[in-house]
Amino acid sequence: MTAALLEVSGVGKRFGGLQALSDVSLSVAAGEIVGLIGPNGAGKTTLFSTLVGLHRPESGSIWLGGRDLVGLKPHRIAAAGMVKTFQNVALFLDSSVLDNVLTGGLMRHSIPAARDLARRCLERVGIDSIADKLARDLSFPERARVEVARALCTEPRILLLDEAMAALNHAEMDAFMALLRQLREEGLTLVVVEHHMRAIMALCDRLVVLNFGQMIATGTPEQIARDPAVVEAYLGRSAA
Amino acid sequence: MSGLSPRQWTGLALLAALAIALPFAFEPRGYGIRILCLALLFAAMAQAWNIVAGLANQISLGHAAFFGIGAYTSTLLLIHFGITPWLGMFAAAILGGAAALLISLPTMRLRGHYFALATLAFGEVMRVIGNSWGGLTGGPVGISVPFAQPSLALMQFRETRSSYWLMLAALVVVTLVFVAIKRSRLGYRLRAIKENADAAEVIGVDTTRTKIIAAVISGALTAALGTLYAQFQFFFDPDTVFGVASVSVRMAMIAIVGGIGTAAGPILGALFVIPLEEFANQVFSAQAAGLSQLVFGLLLILVILIEPRGFMAIGPRLQRLLRKGDRR
Repeated sequence: MTAALLEVSGVGKRFGGLQALSDVSLSVAAGEIVGLIGPNGAGKTTLFSTLVGLHRPESGSIWLGGRDLVGLKPHRIAAAGMVKTFQNVALFLDSSVLDNVLTGGLMRHSIPAARDLARRCLERVGIDSIADKLARDLSFPERARVEVARALCTEPRILLLDEAMAALNHAEMDAFMALLRQLREEGLTLVVVEHHMRAIMALCDRLVVLNFGQMIATGTPEQIARDPAVVEAYLGRSAA
Repeated sequence: MSGLSPRQWTGLALLAALAIALPFAFEPRGYGIRILCLALLFAAMAQAWNIVAGLANQISLGHAAFFGIGAYTSTLLLIHFGITPWLGMFAAAILGGAAALLISLPTMRLRGHYFALATLAFGEVMRVIGNSWGGLTGGPVGISVPFAQPSLALMQFRETRSSYWLMLAALVVVTLVFVAIKRSRLGYRLRAIKENADAAEVIGVDTTRTKIIAAVISGALTAALGTLYAQFQFFFDPDTVFGVASVSVRMAMIAIVGGIGTAAGPILGALFVIPLEEFANQVFSAQAAGLSQLVFGLLLILVILIEPRGFMAIGPRLQRLLRKGDRR
C-alpha cells in the first residue's frame, strides 16, 4: 500500500448523549475498494456523512490527498473529489432522471457538457432507458442507481457508496460489481457499505469493521471472516 | 435552446400584439386601464418573488421591504437631487439588492415557515422604520412625487396607456430574467435546493451562495418595480409600500394562485387576482363594511381548493380528463 488518498484519524462524533463515532481511524489507498461493515447502528452512515461534511466531527482529522477537510462544507469536499450516495436515496423527485444526474456535473461543467456527461453516467450504470422519467416515478432499485449515476457525474476521486446494491437481484448485483471494478480500473477509489456479505467478500480488497461507533477490526475479507471480535459483534458472544 | 415550436412562437407573437394593442380598447384615462397597469405591475412583482420562492421554495413574506426601498429611493432622489427616476430605478435596484444580501445572511439557514416568519419580520421592521423616520420618508403622512410637465425623461405620462406600456415592458424584462435563470446552472441549483438541500450540497452545490444570488436578483428587481409604482401612483406612505397585506402577501398569493415556479403563473395570477379584488370592492363595498374583502377572500380560497397548484396545473388536468373521456 502506497500513500493513502483518504486518511481518517481519531474521528469522534456525538449526538446529544450518543457517542456515534469514537476514535475512528482508517486509511484508504488510491485505487482501493474498501468495504465498511458492521451491525445496524454501528455508525457506518454517520461516518460517511461526517466524511463528506454533513456532520462536523468533535475530534480527529480527515485528510484527502494532503488536505484537511474538517470544517469544510459538503460542496467544498465534493469539489475536492469526495462524494457519497444516500442510503435512503435523496433524489430530486420532481426532476427527470437526466436532470438529477446532470446537476452533479454542473460543479465542473457547463449545462451542455454536463448533459453529455450525465448521459454517459446513465449508460454506465445501465439506466439510460429511463433518462426522461421523473425520479418520483421510479422503483427503489432504479432510484438507488440514479443516486450512483449522479454521484459519478461529479467526477469524484473517491466515492462512498451507502448500500447502493440494496434491492438488486443477483444478476443486477453481478453487473453492478463489474461496474465498480471497471471504475476502479479507471482510477476511482471506492468505500462501500453493504449488507450482502457475498458481494462484499467478492468485491473488496480490504474490510473495515465498525461496532458501536468504534473500529474493531480491519484486514482482508479472509482475515475478517475469521476474526473472533467480528464474529462476536455479528452473532453474539456464545458464537465466538 | 429556445425550446418553443414554430406554433408556440406564433401564439406568443399574437399574444404580444394583443398585449401592446390592448390599451386602445380602453378609455385613455379611465379606471379600467389603471387596473390593467396595476395587474401588470403586480404580475412583474410576483415574477420577481417567483425567482426565490418558485425555484428554491424559499417562501418570502417580506418582499415589501425591497418594494418600499425602491419606491422611497427614486422618489427621494428626485425630490432632493432632481435625479430622474430612470436613474433612481437603478439606485433602487442596487439598494434593494443590498438589502436582500443583508437579510439573506442571517436567514439563509432557515427553511420553510421559519424563513417565511423571518422575512415577514424584516418587512415589518422596514414599515416601522418608514413610519418613524419622518425626517427622511415623511412618516405616516406619506410622500408625493413632484409632478412637473409630463415627460418621458421624468417617467411621467399624460396618457395612462404610456404607463401601461412601461409596466408591460417591466413584466417582459422580469419574466425574461426568470426564464433565463430557470434554464441556467443557477436554475438547476435552485431546483436541487428546493428538492433536497443536503443532497445538493453533497454533489457540489454551494447552497448558501446560490440562495443569496437568487435573493439579491429578486430583491433588486422588486425594488426597481417599487420605483415604477411610485411614478404611477404619485403618492404613497409606509403602510402601503411596506405593507404585509398590500404587497408581501399579495405578491406571494398572485404567484401561488397562478402557479408557483412557472413563468406564466404570476401573469395569470395577477390578471385574475387584481381585477377580482377591484370587482369585489366595487360591487360589495357599498353593502357592508368588510364584505368586499370577505368575498375576495372566499373566491381565492375556492380557487386554491379547486387546484392547489394554481392555474398552470389546470390545463394539463383538463387534458388528462379529456383523454380519459376519449378512451371511454
